[in-house]
Amino acid sequence: MKRTTRHPMRRIIVSAVLLVVLVGVFVVKLVDIQVVRASALNAQSQDARSTPVKVWGARGDIVDANGTVLADSVMRYDIVVSPKQAKLAVVERVASASGDTTKEVDLTTEELVAGLTPAAAELAPVVGLTTDQVVGIITSKLAENPDSDFAFIAKQVDTATYDAVKALEIAWVYPEEHPSRTYPNGAVGGNLLGFVQADDGTPLAGLELAQDQCLAGTDGEVSYLHSASDWVPIPGTEIVQKQAKDGGTLKLTIDADLQFFVQRVLEEQRRATGADWATATVMEVKTGRLLAVADVPTVDPNDPSATDADDRGSRTFTAPFEPGSTFKAITAASVLDAGKATPLDQIVAPYKYYPSNGADINDSAFHEDERLTLTGVLIESSNTGMSKFGERLTDRQRYDDMKKFHLGEQTEVGFPNEETGDLHGDPDEWDNQTKYATMFGQGLTTTAVQIASAYQTIANGGVRMPVQLVDGCTTPDGETTAPPSKGERVISEKAADETSQMLERVYAEGWLADTWNIPGYRVAAKTGTAQFADGNGGYRSGYLVSVSGFAPADDPEFVVSVSINNPVKMNSSAASAPVFQKVMSQVLKKYRTVPSGAPAPDLPATW
Amino acid sequence: MSALPANVLPAESKPAPRRAPERGRWLRPAPEPGRRAKPTLAYAIIAVAGVAAIVVAQLLLSIAITQGAYDIDHAQMQQTKLDRQEQQLREDLDRVESPQYLAANAEALGMVPNASPVLLKLSDGSVSGDPTPARAGAEASGPLVPNALIDGVPLVTEEPAGETPKKQAKGGGERAAAGAAGAAGSGGAQTPEDPAAPPVSDGLPTPATH
Repeated sequence: MKRTTRHPMRRIIVSAVLLVVLVGVFVVKLVDIQVVRASALNAQSQDARSTPVKVWGARGDIVDANGTVLADSVMRYDIVVSPKQAKLAVVERVASASGDTTKEVDLTTEELVAGLTPAAAELAPVVGLTTDQVVGIITSKLAENPDSDFAFIAKQVDTATYDAVKALEIAWVYPEEHPSRTYPNGAVGGNLLGFVQADDGTPLAGLELAQDQCLAGTDGEVSYLHSASDWVPIPGTEIVQKQAKDGGTLKLTIDADLQFFVQRVLEEQRRATGADWATATVMEVKTGRLLAVADVPTVDPNDPSATDADDRGSRTFTAPFEPGSTFKAITAASVLDAGKATPLDQIVAPYKYYPSNGADINDSAFHEDERLTLTGVLIESSNTGMSKFGERLTDRQRYDDMKKFHLGEQTEVGFPNEETGDLHGDPDEWDNQTKYATMFGQGLTTTAVQIASAYQTIANGGVRMPVQLVDGCTTPDGETTAPPSKGERVISEKAADETSQMLERVYAEGWLADTWNIPGYRVAAKTGTAQFADGNGGYRSGYLVSVSGFAPADDPEFVVSVSINNPVKMNSSAASAPVFQKVMSQVLKKYRTVPSGAPAPDLPATW
Repeated sequence: MSALPANVLPAESKPAPRRAPERGRWLRPAPEPGRRAKPTLAYAIIAVAGVAAIVVAQLLLSIAITQGAYDIDHAQMQQTKLDRQEQQLREDLDRVESPQYLAANAEALGMVPNASPVLLKLSDGSVSGDPTPARAGAEASGPLVPNALIDGVPLVTEEPAGETPKKQAKGGGERAAAGAAGAAGSGGAQTPEDPAAPPVSDGLPTPATH
């Protein structure tokens, strides 16, 4: 009895254990496949059945202050051929012509060329090549590698060409998408915008480079299963491998219309005077925003190679020069701020002045001793007179003021290759001549934008605003970065106002008073004619002539600063004055500035 | 007396014959399964039919979805094509909107910029500036601020009457269909201006002044 009952029990137990073990094995395997290795296996199966497709993340636009698009991303196309398929097509045609499709055909080069020619002849004019060139691309690729499946026929062609290529319906020719960049306004702001490398979109210069973090998009990737015959995606099989992300929109403070006008006027004058290059800057006094920054010769970012490599940057930021007499306004402001002089303090300005430290100062043209006030020194632009006022401050005091004007350092713009300018080291390192030369803008270098910023400070009652070229970056999600807008006081309001009044006298009484006259407005301006270092420790024969000023002087709104380098046909600041006059007139007109009321206060220049 | 036992007896004998019929009654329901078989078949048919319906519905649904996929694909292709067209037209528009093109057209029409503005102050009626006519013969702006994009785009004055520069801007007329679609597209955007824009052959547009 016991044996018979025990046997089934044992069998049951044995089979139960077996069952449990078996199920356990299955469960383990199941978990292994479904959980542990799930993602790897899924990926493997996806890879086997689907094709990943690249999704381009568009590079952001660059727009001006009014939203005019200055740099735009557009889709362009690369025309690609498959040399292998092209050859196969010829082989098939030859085989079917001979009526023997089973035999393998060995093409001679001549046969191949002859076979390719009809299609190539259709394709060539569309992509702007000759038939021989198209055939040559295919045959040379095949010579390298008989299985070659990829060769570029044309890069970056536009939509019209794309449609034309598609219409040819050549099986072994297909276009590939390739985003590109266009600059609808051409050279307007070209030197600021910079440009990108044509074939791969790498930013190479200007704001394209400096603000790449804002502008650059991230390419994504999706994959999906598709039907075998017509590549229609099967519903529900799309997998986003990587989300594509568009770049942000970069908004500038520049006004494209004004920028066009300034560039036009400046280039006209550069050509008329035979100058090497010129820059003009328009800045808003109360905010420090740059409304126009013109650099000529100008690069058209659609075609940067048409411009010399040296002319493709923005010299406003990258070319330091000795500012010359425009700097006297800064020295005068320092002296007034320290309370060491008033606009009517009197000195005698000789032609030659030998300070006690052994320096040797002279004015640009011979004159008898002149009895000038500080205002008169600025009007006459007397180096000796300026030296007599400048020496009332210590070198260290003047140097500290220059630092407060943010000279000798990059502006907040941070343009690629922006120069800091050079204050000739520390005042302790200045030699005796430099100690005096720095009072009238020699022996130190500044960039054009630094001078514009210094005049902005004087115009704004002594408060320097951060220089702004970029208004902000708006991401596709709508987040916007705001630039800093906090000003800092550099000189007292009284000193700034007095300097402004003296500069008004320069405008009204200086030798260019007729050239730069703007009826209806009070203007403050100062010319500069500076020697330009030749790079070998000496000075070049030509001058860098400049005008900086602001208007309306009773309530300053705009700074205009013009520099023209080596105008061989007119080597004085008379070359830059008309540009200043035209640009300032246009700015005042454009922004509907209210004309000045009371006339400028009169300050005697002599005594 | 006798009646009582007689009564009792049948009473005593009753249980025996009653048990027999009781057993018979217990077994009697046996045929019932035959009657129940009928609804089971109906259920089976319903179930099978239901499954079949579900299968067919799913098939139809997936056919519909697949058809939808083709529709979507078709629509997407069309969208891509229209996007391309839109981009092409926008590029044309950008080209003719550029300041260089406007300036070149203005110059072609004989316009020159006036560099000496004159201001009339309403508060006291004073005029500042000398009213001088703009001088002709200013240098053409084209080469001063180049724009590679407008090379070869004809100016207003070079166009046949009645054409808008946009259509002509980029070697148009390659594709009749696209051209027609483009004209329709741009026409929509331009509607407010179109009736007001006079044909160039009739001379310069005259602004309405108030």
